Amino acid sequence: MKHIVYISRAVHPLSDEDLQQLLTQSRRDNTRHGITGVLFYSHGNIAQLFEGEEGIADILFERIAQDGRHSHVQKLIDKPITSRSFAEWSMAFHPLEAAGFTALHGFLLPHHVPPMPASLTIADALLVELVGLAVFGPDPSTPYHKLLTSPLDR
Amino acid sequence: MPNIPFSQLLRQLPAGVATLEGPELRYGFINEAMRALVGEGAEGQRVVEHPGSLPLTLLEVLARVYATGEPYVAKACICAPAPGAAADQCRYFDLALEPYRDDDQAIAGLLLLALDVSEQEANRQQAHELALVTRRLDTRLRVLTETAPLITFTHDAQGRCTYVSPQWYRFTGQPPTADLTAIWPLLIHPGDRLRVLYEADAARRTGTGWNYEYRLRRFDGQYRWMLSRSLPEVHPPDAPMHWHGALTEVHDQRELADVLRRGEAELRFLADSIPELIWTATAEGFIDYYNRYTTDYSGLHKDDLGPTGWIGLLHSSEQAEAARRWVHSVANGEVYEGEYRMRRHDGAYRWHIIRARQLADGPVLRWFGACTEVHDQYLLRQVLQTQYDELARAHHDLDTFVYAASHDLRQPALNLRGLFDELRRTATFADPDQDQLLAMVDGALTQLDTTLHDLAVTVQTQRTQQEPTEVLDLGLVLEEVLLGLRPQAQARQAHLEVSVKAAPGLVYGRANLRSVLHNLVSNALKFSHPDRPPCIVLRSYLTPDDQPVFEVRENGLGMQLDNPKNPVFQLFVRQHAHIEGTGVGLYLVQRIVRSHGGHVEVASTLGEGSTFTIYWTKPV
Repeated sequence: MKHIVYISRAVHPLSDEDLQQLLTQSRRDNTRHGITGVLFYSHGNIAQLFEGEEGIADILFERIAQDGRHSHVQKLIDKPITSRSFAEWSMAFHPLEAAGFTALHGFLLPHHVPPMPASLTIADALLVELVGLAVFGPDPSTPYHKLLTSPLDR
Repeated sequence: MPNIPFSQLLRQLPAGVATLEGPELRYGFINEAMRALVGEGAEGQRVVEHPGSLPLTLLEVLARVYATGEPYVAKACICAPAPGAAADQCRYFDLALEPYRDDDQAIAGLLLLALDVSEQEANRQQAHELALVTRRLDTRLRVLTETAPLITFTHDAQGRCTYVSPQWYRFTGQPPTADLTAIWPLLIHPGDRLRVLYEADAARRTGTGWNYEYRLRRFDGQYRWMLSRSLPEVHPPDAPMHWHGALTEVHDQRELADVLRRGEAELRFLADSIPELIWTATAEGFIDYYNRYTTDYSGLHKDDLGPTGWIGLLHSSEQAEAARRWVHSVANGEVYEGEYRMRRHDGAYRWHIIRARQLADGPVLRWFGACTEVHDQYLLRQVLQTQYDELARAHHDLDTFVYAASHDLRQPALNLRGLFDELRRTATFADPDQDQLLAMVDGALTQLDTTLHDLAVTVQTQRTQQEPTEVLDLGLVLEEVLLGLRPQAQARQAHLEVSVKAAPGLVYGRANLRSVLHNLVSNALKFSHPDRPPCIVLRSYLTPDDQPVFEVRENGLGMQLDNPKNPVFQLFVRQHAHIEGTGVGLYLVQRIVRSHGGHVEVASTLGEGSTFTIYWTKPV
């Protein structure tokens, strides 16, 4: 089993409908393939951690990398793990109309994202926290405008 | 033999035919086409009288042709527009005059032939104009290609150079007669020649263009980096026959890129040679560079460490806190600083100070960090701290002991005093020396009491050195002190002068201030000169640097001093042994003043007096 963390930039900002569709579709697909994890989205900044069987995870990442809805995909972690840290797959973002989303399965408001499970190494937990900081900004309860800066590999 | 009569054919000929008969050149036969040119009703008329649209030039040569018998041909003569047509619609005719002879071979007249070439003429003119425009454009293009700072060239499919712009000659300095195909490769730097020829050859073979850089020899012998790009001229389905391209100098940009690359390599080299863990991180906090020392120290490669793996190098008990601090720094841009144990490649944990700060690398923010090993200093500090703590404890214990001892001894001393007084009162002594002896015992007891008292005071003072400071009215405190010393002052008939208006306030500990003032005034009274009443001036003022100072000037016994600027007052060391006292006063004063950061200065002349100057605070 392995987990992969990546960040990317949406080509066009995602609307509430796009986000809802992405959430439901991803949950469906990921549940089927045994992929768990969490996706952060805010103002065009995307970050995701997902874990699953090695082969499936690799295929999923390939597909993600080719997805035309985002660009500047940088993989930050690609490591084997001994056991899962996430029970399901969920998404955290600020919808414009919060009312339609509160009942949605797998949806989280960014400031409701629970602390990273203890099964993650501190290094990985630190990474996810930094990634969350980059996507949501210092105060996750309020929407935040800042594009992720230059790429990791120079 | 066609049935149509010949005359009919002539009449219908698309070319104009007319006969001009006789010396007067009268129109004879005029066919349809000619009628369009000369007009109606011309038969029988003399041609000069009825020229129609015939040009003047023709009329002028008529007579000559008739006389000489030489035919005349004029191409594209401009003729007047047809009657009824617009004035600008001139017609063009090819005109020919042919003399014809009669049976006697004498010229009987002229045959006039006219062919309408208006359309051809119009086309010809249009073509001519087009050619002019083309030539103009061509010239402009030529000027452009030949003056622009670019060498353009054409090579054929065999690699022969068929064209090169004049800039080539200007750059290489070669004469115009040079054989381009032969000499060009020789001007390429030997180190690049083979590669260039190979790449050009490969491009020709595959029918594609090329794009490469090489050094070309300039007119002054210097080799300059050039970028050569070319594309084939394609006319499918045939294979390309020509390659057209451009050669431009890129020497400076290449040098700059080299310098940048070298500079970066030097920086990396520098970072790698420093025996500290050096790293950089993106603005989001992901580490993207670890220097070589980091790899050597940790035994882990950059990929193993990854963007946040450095946390794993820290001691497990400190990882969470360090990670939290890092997130905080990244979020707020604050300097990151902490002391942590980092695991070495052999598993040993060594103390390091990790420091990182955010710097703007152009428009981009980056974190620059370093981990400095302080293990040995850290251990040393631990040892010193332990020793210091022990010392402080021992000191404290000693003080407590002294205090307790002096305190405990006071009661027995008091008892002794009481018993002695009683003895003196009740007992009778036969020995006449007894009185002297009694006085000596009395004095000794008094001395014992005073010493014990002062010892206790010294220790007490130490304890009160930590007392809180407040803003004190120097005048008021001084008044209290003087009040307490009034009996002694009156006994000595002392004259006291007080002026504290200049610096009335002072931030100090109340008990300490009182102690200092009391000791100074008490000393001044005690050590007064036997020949004169003490005159003590107490003054408070500010130095030019706004520092508060207190001065005690007296005309007493004076004292011997090694260093007036830094007098040493040792506990119990006394200069005037005949005067009662314990030698604690000035020692105490100095201790108190020093503990507040100030210092004491004394100016004194034996037999004349002393001036004590107290600088309350540390000089700024």
